[in-house]
Amino acid sequence: MIRPALHRPSVRGRARADAGPLLLVAAVVAVVTLLAGAAPPLLRATADDAVRDAARTAGRDGDVLAHARWEYDDAPDGGRIRAPRLAEDVDDFRERATEALDPGLRAVLRPPVAVVTSPTLKVTEGTAPRTFRLAYLVDGRGPHSQTRVTWVAGSPPAPSVPPERESLTVPYGGPPWPVQIGLSEVDAAELGVRPGDRIPLVDEFRRAKDVQVSGVFRAEDSGDPTWRLAPWLLRPVAGADGVGTTRLGGLLSPGSLPDARLAFDQDELDRAVRFSPEPGALDSGTAEAVTGTLVTLKATSGASSVQDTSLKWETQLDLVLREVQTRVNAASAQASVLLAAVLTGAVLVLLLAADLLARRRTQPLAAARQRGTGLPDLAAELLVESAAVALVAAGVGLALARLVAPGVSWWWAVPVALAAAAAGPGFGTLHAARATRDRRAPANRAARRWLAQTRQLRGAAVEVAVLVAAAAALVALHQRGILPAPAGGAAGPWSTSDGEAALPSSAPALGAVAGALALLRLLPAGTRAALRWALRSRRPLAAFGAARAAATASHALPPLAMVAAAALAAFALTLGATADRGLADGAWRTVGADARLDANPAAGVDMRALAGRVAASPGVRQAVAAQVVDGARVTTESALVTPRLVVVDAAAFRRLLATTPLPDAPDLARLGPAGPGGVPALVRSGDGSLRPGMRLRLPRDGDAEAVPLTAVGTAPAVGGTGDVVVVDAAALTAAGVPVVPNTVWVTGPGTARAVAAGTDGVDTVLRAGVLHERRGAPLTAGLLRLAWTSAAVLLALGLLGLALGAAEGAPERWQTLSRLRTLGLRLREARWVAAGELLPPVAVAAIGGPLLGVLLAYLTAGPLALRVVVGAEGDPPVAVPWWGIAPLAAAFLAAVAVVVPVEAAVRRRRRLGEVLRAGAG
Amino acid sequence: MTADLVSVRGVHRRFGSGPASVHALRDVSFDVAAGTMVALVGRSGSGKTTLLNVVGGLDRPDEGTVVVDGTEVTALDDDGLSDLRRSRVAYVFQTFGLIPVMTAAENVGVPLRLARVPTVERERRVELLLDLVGLADHAAQRPDELSGGQQQRVAVARALAASPRLLIADEPTGQLDAETGLSVMALLRGVVESEGVTVLVSTHDPVMMELADRVLRMHDGQVSC
Repeated sequence: MIRPALHRPSVRGRARADAGPLLLVAAVVAVVTLLAGAAPPLLRATADDAVRDAARTAGRDGDVLAHARWEYDDAPDGGRIRAPRLAEDVDDFRERATEALDPGLRAVLRPPVAVVTSPTLKVTEGTAPRTFRLAYLVDGRGPHSQTRVTWVAGSPPAPSVPPERESLTVPYGGPPWPVQIGLSEVDAAELGVRPGDRIPLVDEFRRAKDVQVSGVFRAEDSGDPTWRLAPWLLRPVAGADGVGTTRLGGLLSPGSLPDARLAFDQDELDRAVRFSPEPGALDSGTAEAVTGTLVTLKATSGASSVQDTSLKWETQLDLVLREVQTRVNAASAQASVLLAAVLTGAVLVLLLAADLLARRRTQPLAAARQRGTGLPDLAAELLVESAAVALVAAGVGLALARLVAPGVSWWWAVPVALAAAAAGPGFGTLHAARATRDRRAPANRAARRWLAQTRQLRGAAVEVAVLVAAAAALVALHQRGILPAPAGGAAGPWSTSDGEAALPSSAPALGAVAGALALLRLLPAGTRAALRWALRSRRPLAAFGAARAAATASHALPPLAMVAAAALAAFALTLGATADRGLADGAWRTVGADARLDANPAAGVDMRALAGRVAASPGVRQAVAAQVVDGARVTTESALVTPRLVVVDAAAFRRLLATTPLPDAPDLARLGPAGPGGVPALVRSGDGSLRPGMRLRLPRDGDAEAVPLTAVGTAPAVGGTGDVVVVDAAALTAAGVPVVPNTVWVTGPGTARAVAAGTDGVDTVLRAGVLHERRGAPLTAGLLRLAWTSAAVLLALGLLGLALGAAEGAPERWQTLSRLRTLGLRLREARWVAAGELLPPVAVAAIGGPLLGVLLAYLTAGPLALRVVVGAEGDPPVAVPWWGIAPLAAAFLAAVAVVVPVEAAVRRRRRLGEVLRAGAG
Repeated sequence: MTADLVSVRGVHRRFGSGPASVHALRDVSFDVAAGTMVALVGRSGSGKTTLLNVVGGLDRPDEGTVVVDGTEVTALDDDGLSDLRRSRVAYVFQTFGLIPVMTAAENVGVPLRLARVPTVERERRVELLLDLVGLADHAAQRPDELSGGQQQRVAVARALAASPRLLIADEPTGQLDAETGLSVMALLRGVVESEGVTVLVSTHDPVMMELADRVLRMHDGQVSC
């Protein structure tokens, strides 16, 4: 094998002579490598944050819960035996559950809390329906570690029997067994009881319970996560047991727990161990393994119907992690799409730069060939130069990426470095070969035409190949979407580096290139038409500019780079704007207005009066009070459903919706007084369990008959919830159900000021705050940043393409202009002619490019699954960011106004006489 | 006696500076009578093209004056030079310099467009000129559809379009074969006869020298008659 001979002085000489273009190539490679190298690790970091965020905000859905039935406490000779060491048993149960966990899973969970809860009891005194539960909480510190409260009155609950009788047997069917509990200050005040008082309670069979208050406590740390398991122990919770109800709770102690057992039937007390996730121990890498372990745990769990003491596991954490993993995968895939777009723009600009460099070097390369240098030798010399530039620049880019990111990814830098290394030798060798080959243009016109047609066919074949690839990528994207196949599981960020996902990810980039080629096919015809018009006109400059434009319209690479970069920049902008629009819409749906005021049950705020006060504030358009009950129990003909029940003045609610961008709900007009079928209601359901036309029943507290409802139409999606039932407040009140508003929706420009003043006792949720929070969520913020950065880089690449294209055509352009100047064209007129030549491809890039980008966004927005990242139910509608696209287009046009004077200034230094006959005379 | 159209006095032109500078024109002085054809001959590097550039206002001398048709070219600013080239001085290039996407007629009409001649008059003049150079049947053809000789004829027609007083041609037959070159030379001679244009042409061609009314020889930047 013959090794190419390198002539090092030639390599050094060429590099010195063309240091500028080589530095430009290096800069492009470095910048794009920086982006491509830093984006994946940054997204991995945001994915880790997103997983932790999801675990942190999952609430009780994120808990892993182990249930186990109690061992029966029947005495051999009848009756039930009091178990004085029941608290220790609960602790043992907690430890048993902990040991049953896989070590990997245990590592991502916090120390467990065992909780024992009674069934729901009813408070028989008072007018408002109130419910009550007993609860015993114990964490890892053991059964006698209940130091989380301070007893402000009375004492902790004590056993109801003296120590010497602690293991007594209680006969079946005896009187209610006494049990002592502690009450929080708020609950005690709500019930109006003091230590020593008994709370009038009955169970669902109306059997009385003997529950005595031993003391009143104050939580030392009401923010302790343990209280999250039974918040009603600290304060009343509205709606927990149905519409209009308030739940309160009594705290059991290790001493009173055995009495609580006897106070209820064998299996009525529920015991469970709750493990909350430790967000800091989770990341996107461990989430997949944890999800698998949880699925296995649930699959091997004993069935709840099995009557033994084995552990039954429940958790939604696997679903939470799977959901966030899906979002991570979606964000990764969308980021891949953006990076593929940037890489495409960069590769096109690198090809253009290499072509320009090769044209500049045509003479010296041809001279080297004539001196005997072989093409392989030339190619090797050029490869040494370009590889050195590409490798050094890529190294700099990756080093900078390492400085700004928690890691570095080289995978996405490879195409740029390869393009930079290969394009120079490729174009250089080609130009050298063309410049020195003996074959001349045939004198025969037919032969010349045949050659031209062959060239056209070759070009058309390349264009068809790109079109086919783009079509295949778009079809693949639409057929399988951007998300990894479920069978592949949650593959984590940047799994799209595998070949299967690469095609859909590159669909917008390929689409932009194919679309640009299609637009450029129209360019020659357009410039010829413009020339015909200009020649008929009396404007000489227009004619000359159009003539130059028509002469250069067939140079495909410069406009291709410009149009593709502009299209992809517009695509990135549109993608980001659409995601942002989805977030904004989501914030509207979540809050339902500019602000939502949620009543704090303990504060006892009159929300109707509050709505009236807020409505009177300046700048407030609407303020509507409603009672919103999540998980309200509604029965259909065949099932029990738990939708969000919204009881509201229907007319006022419709007026409120009219002041928001939320969809109108014309069916609200159908709500009104009860008819023969019951109270009219609007329903909405994600799974079809609630449909217009259905007859529903709204169970009421106690023995009161359920309220019949008739679904007369479709409800708006209040708060973004899937299942909703909306009922008119007046109609429900007329049906005998007390309506206690707990929510106020407020709209209008003065909302923030209005709710900031005079809204004590309510939790305020501002739409702007929700939107800000969602925009700042790790994955969303990361994706938006990448979209804006990609758009900026692509715009810069497009402008660079314009400058390189102008530089490539400058010698020929200014030679023609110089000839025209010898005919009397003035210098300033020459500038207009030059601008006229550059404008057509730039106009295509400035106008056609963004339109193509927007079209691509429309074609791919659905399959790109932006809804997953923004957390919307459906695909957010494509938002065209004219505020970004207009400056994008203007930047290209403005660049012409910069390039032409610069060119003219550079050329002015050259003598006009050079055009007459350079070098001779 | 015929008046002088071109008057060159004491022209010097140097390129570069210091020891490496080239003294392209050294104290060149001569006159060209109106309506004559003057051939400028000399070896490559003798300064022919530089002299043509200076006379036509494409380049400025370091010293000396050039007067064309009563106008001191060396005193004109850029716009003045453009006006001069638009109305009184025309060029024929060795490489033709036609605009490839324009037809022969459109190329010929370029100077008339610059002078904003009305369309009807322009078309009439173009037709006349193409007829003059023998290309009336090729008006609609683009340069790449014409032979080299035909392209140079179009270039000559274009040069004459604005009715210049002086036509400067630098090696107009340099890229043509002998026969075609001869026809172009004959065309230039005919133009002098029929249009009364003064032609200053640089050439190596002995036939062209024979056709010229006068021959100026250049050697090392100096002119001798």
